[in-house]
Amino acid sequence: MAALSLSASAGEALVLGLATGPVCLASCGPVVLPWMLVQPQGMRLHTRQLFLFLAARLAGYLVFATAVWLVGSSIPHAWTGRSWLFGGIEVLLAAGLVAYAAGWPRRRSTPAQPSSRLVQIGEAPRPLLSGALALGFLTGINLCPPFLVAGIRAAQLPHLSASLLFFLFFFAGTAVWFLPFLSLGFVRRTPAVVTVARMVAVLLACWYMFSGVSILIERAIYG
Amino acid sequence: MASRSSTLARPVAFRSVGRSILLTLPIALWSLLMFTPSFQHAGRDTHIGAVVVMLFMTGLFFLMMRTGETYRWRRIFFVALGFLFPFGFIAALVAERGTMSIPISRMVSGDTPFCFMVTPGIILPAAFAHTIIFPGSILPTASNPHSIAIMIGLWFALTLVLGKAWCSYACFFGGIEEGFAAIAKRRRLHRFIVRFGPRLRLVPWAILVFVVLGSAALFEPVYCMWLCPFKAVTEFPAVRNVETAIQMGIFVALFVGLVVVLPFLTKKRTQCGFFCPFGAFQSLFNKIHLFEIRFNREKCVDCTLCQTSCPTVALSAESIREGKTLLNCMKCGACVDACKKDAAVWHLKGTPVAVKPERARLLFLYGAWAMATMFGGSILANSVATMLHWLPWK
Amino acid sequence: MRARILAILAYTGAGLILAVAVCVPFVLMGVFSNVVAHAGLHIDATYSGGTIARTIERNGYRIIVYQPVQPRLFERVEPFVQLAFEPADSLPARVSDEVDLDGDGQPDVRVSFTMPADPGAKLRGNVTALNQKYVSLANVADESFSRMVVRTGNKIVVRVPLSSEVAGR
Repeated sequence: MAALSLSASAGEALVLGLATGPVCLASCGPVVLPWMLVQPQGMRLHTRQLFLFLAARLAGYLVFATAVWLVGSSIPHAWTGRSWLFGGIEVLLAAGLVAYAAGWPRRRSTPAQPSSRLVQIGEAPRPLLSGALALGFLTGINLCPPFLVAGIRAAQLPHLSASLLFFLFFFAGTAVWFLPFLSLGFVRRTPAVVTVARMVAVLLACWYMFSGVSILIERAIYG
Repeated sequence: MASRSSTLARPVAFRSVGRSILLTLPIALWSLLMFTPSFQHAGRDTHIGAVVVMLFMTGLFFLMMRTGETYRWRRIFFVALGFLFPFGFIAALVAERGTMSIPISRMVSGDTPFCFMVTPGIILPAAFAHTIIFPGSILPTASNPHSIAIMIGLWFALTLVLGKAWCSYACFFGGIEEGFAAIAKRRRLHRFIVRFGPRLRLVPWAILVFVVLGSAALFEPVYCMWLCPFKAVTEFPAVRNVETAIQMGIFVALFVGLVVVLPFLTKKRTQCGFFCPFGAFQSLFNKIHLFEIRFNREKCVDCTLCQTSCPTVALSAESIREGKTLLNCMKCGACVDACKKDAAVWHLKGTPVAVKPERARLLFLYGAWAMATMFGGSILANSVATMLHWLPWK
Repeated sequence: MRARILAILAYTGAGLILAVAVCVPFVLMGVFSNVVAHAGLHIDATYSGGTIARTIERNGYRIIVYQPVQPRLFERVEPFVQLAFEPADSLPARVSDEVDLDGDGQPDVRVSFTMPADPGAKLRGNVTALNQKYVSLANVADESFSRMVVRTGNKIVVRVPLSSEVAGR
């Protein structure tokens, strides 16, 4: 009976992920697209980067799953701190995008690799994997509507392991929608493409900053 | 016969009057064809507007043929279009509703005329959800003849002929910057353009990607709602809360900065070259368009006059070494007219470079000027008729 | 030989472009416009109000009730239901109607507004929610795409926001 219930939840989570995947793609895709275009061309490194991004995103999902289960189903509706968290995460994401566009994180350079930063100071940095982890985790805890729906559902499950498993299958459903990003590995990484990608990241950062600050100001004024 | 032009670097080589008239005849006939229907409508102002524009467009084409130059005469038409279109548009708004702002009631009733600049942003929602994210109407109505079907159809038809040359022969906003760029005698901020121009030239592409993704995610026309400088001289959502006030502030700031001040200082089309996502979108058609501008490396002395004269920084030292322009070349002809060595030439893809360039120029100009007469000319005629209608001594 | 063939193709292409240019105002523009018109596209419900659910006949006018509009993806508009009172010319000076929005036979909102003597004057109205599914509006004109009482042409358009519980957000 317990196994049946668990498999039903897993199935439900997978279907929920597949059905709301486009929403996740719309939410995280604009962050992933310019970031992936900045990475050097090459399927192997590209696949590794995407894998790390999704793994960090999964980590974010599981952290949220744990939090949601621990506090119970009251979080999505009654928790007054949701707006602060939502706004704060968007501001952090904006800051991360701007920092990445400006060349963070810096690393030892290789002379063969041209700089793709908006402003070049010093030698060109190598692409760093922690960028994938940071962006993946931040997008993973970004409280978009399907994420909240999944959270409400997971909060009602009897055990922590069930909540984690629910989010694991939910993640699998949404991750399917990110597979086409692997094709970006074939896009030629001219300096122009990389520069445009970084500029897009800055524009997205402006949007997330505006959105996050609006939420925080509204929260501060109206309570 | 040659004479020194006061605005160009090289002496003008006049062609014979007879030959110029002969070459202008097709355009004169075309103008007649385009504007004859205007005489069937009542209204002396409309008739005068039609005649003025017919003579104007035919006259400019004659001068293009007579002098062998393109940019200077095309610019006169383009600046006239850039300033008279907003005049006619605003006059119609004021006459109809007394204000340039669009109340929500008009957006809800589908009466907002469709603008081409929205086109890239509506593609993904239309393709995946069959939804047009614009407060217009699909089919024309009595209160909104500029429906989505009509305007998209017109845009596509014009793009088939013009490609990226849309930005030099059709866009009714580009002439505003071109006008302000022509005012100052001296070019300022030249070093800024030289240093940052190559990067700034990529900004329209970033804005295009941002607008396309953002419009698909938010299901709203992001460019219209947040980034269009020309809202300041056409119509804009009525300011009714903090968000719409911020939007209006952005529109005005972009217009003043990119369309007025920077073109005046740099003598470049800064909004077109460094911001407009629709221009970046049209640039894609340069990949398949048959006409282009090329450089004869045997004649080129790398004087960089072409680079200095290009209004949208569509030339780099590297591209000139390869004998071509960059993807954002809008075929205005400034570099061809500026080149003292006749190294910059019009070219028909598939034919040898610099062999019979005048033939390529002619073939291109016939198509481009025909479209300019049909589209821009009709706007000009309308605006002239409106001006005459408002004359105080009538 | 190859150069000759390319040149022939190039000039043929140029000729075709000129032919297209001539055809634009007489044929092509109409053809392309028709293609777009018959492509099965519709205006986003945020602007159009959605599809019609039912029509309620009243004395001298009718109330058209639309299907609820739920925002898509990250669309930044509240979910709402649109009503249209038409024809506006036939409406009484003061309108106060209880309307069943969800078709369950029970009235859900009371809409009330006074028709201004000047058709160009701004209209304001009130919507009183009779159950928890909808949100009341007080003295509203054109506050947002989901909260309005406006005149468009010969009809009065009212948009009532759905409460967040019903909308599932």
